[in-house]
Amino acid sequence: MSKYSVILPTYQERRNLPIIVWLLARVFAEQHLAWEIIIVDDASPDGTLEVAKELQGLYGEDKIILKPRAGKLGLGTAYIHGLKFCTGDFVIIMDADFSHHPKFLVEFIAKQKAQNLDIVTGTRYIPGGGVYGWDLKRKVISRGANLLAKLVLWPGVSDVTGSFRLYKKPVLESLIASTQSRGYVFQMEIIVRAKAAGYTVGEVPITFVDRVYGESKLGGDEIVSYAKGIWMLFRAV
Amino acid sequence: MARRTTRQTQFLVVSTFLISLYSALYLSLIPLPISQDIKDQIVPCLPFNLLITLGSYCLWELGMGVLTFGECDEAHDELMKEIEMAKSDLRSKGISVD
Repeated sequence: MSKYSVILPTYQERRNLPIIVWLLARVFAEQHLAWEIIIVDDASPDGTLEVAKELQGLYGEDKIILKPRAGKLGLGTAYIHGLKFCTGDFVIIMDADFSHHPKFLVEFIAKQKAQNLDIVTGTRYIPGGGVYGWDLKRKVISRGANLLAKLVLWPGVSDVTGSFRLYKKPVLESLIASTQSRGYVFQMEIIVRAKAAGYTVGEVPITFVDRVYGESKLGGDEIVSYAKGIWMLFRAV
Repeated sequence: MARRTTRQTQFLVVSTFLISLYSALYLSLIPLPISQDIKDQIVPCLPFNLLITLGSYCLWELGMGVLTFGECDEAHDELMKEIEMAKSDLRSKGISVD
């Protein structure tokens, strides 16, 4: 039977973490799947690690694996770090703040099995997908950013910055080894490199509920670094 | 099968080809069965037309994309309920939730 590993990088997710773990555990139990969640906490000052330990007590140390780090070291390296401890055949990456709902894993897994895909990615942009809580400005920026990526990179997927994905473990390991960027350009780089390398990628429409608790982090700097990221990928991939 | 050429390389190759083709057309180096009049009027406008077409396409994609952006209020409501369910279940099992 296939085992599914979820890598959850956390920073200040003390309120969200128990609930996201509960939602994941419920999906896996309902689908009768072998699973584990690897929590990579970057020394959150709000007690995220403490609540993670409580969850470990509840679900078992074989299901909740804690691999904390000494400081806020960023998303890309969190995945690299977490990946070392995955014992599953498949690796799922997602956000811990409810923007990605575990219920979609059922479709991700089914689609992967049906077509033996290397990667399944969630997309907000195809029919069936959508967002909640975005104003007009945010939508324009999002579509604009995606359009820019499409024009320059011809990525072959409808949602390049999406970070809700299921990978075959060896595929993710090989892709992560060749990535150079960090932040959410990292997510783009992985999928662009994946298509360039000939991996099979499928898409599942997802609903993206933005920022139930917490604040959005999109500013001018982010937009500049996004454009720089696209340029880098244009030249390198 | 790995792709060796980068997108930049592909872009440069294709655009060099198109630019050469256009220059040959512009400078009448390629004999074509069209009248000189048409050549004088249409050929110089082609790059401009291309730009306009590209710009229009982008605006269309952007506009349509924003207009047809899926909304998911039910997903939000469902999530709120599930959060409450999760909280009470976890509390009963001794996990410190808010």
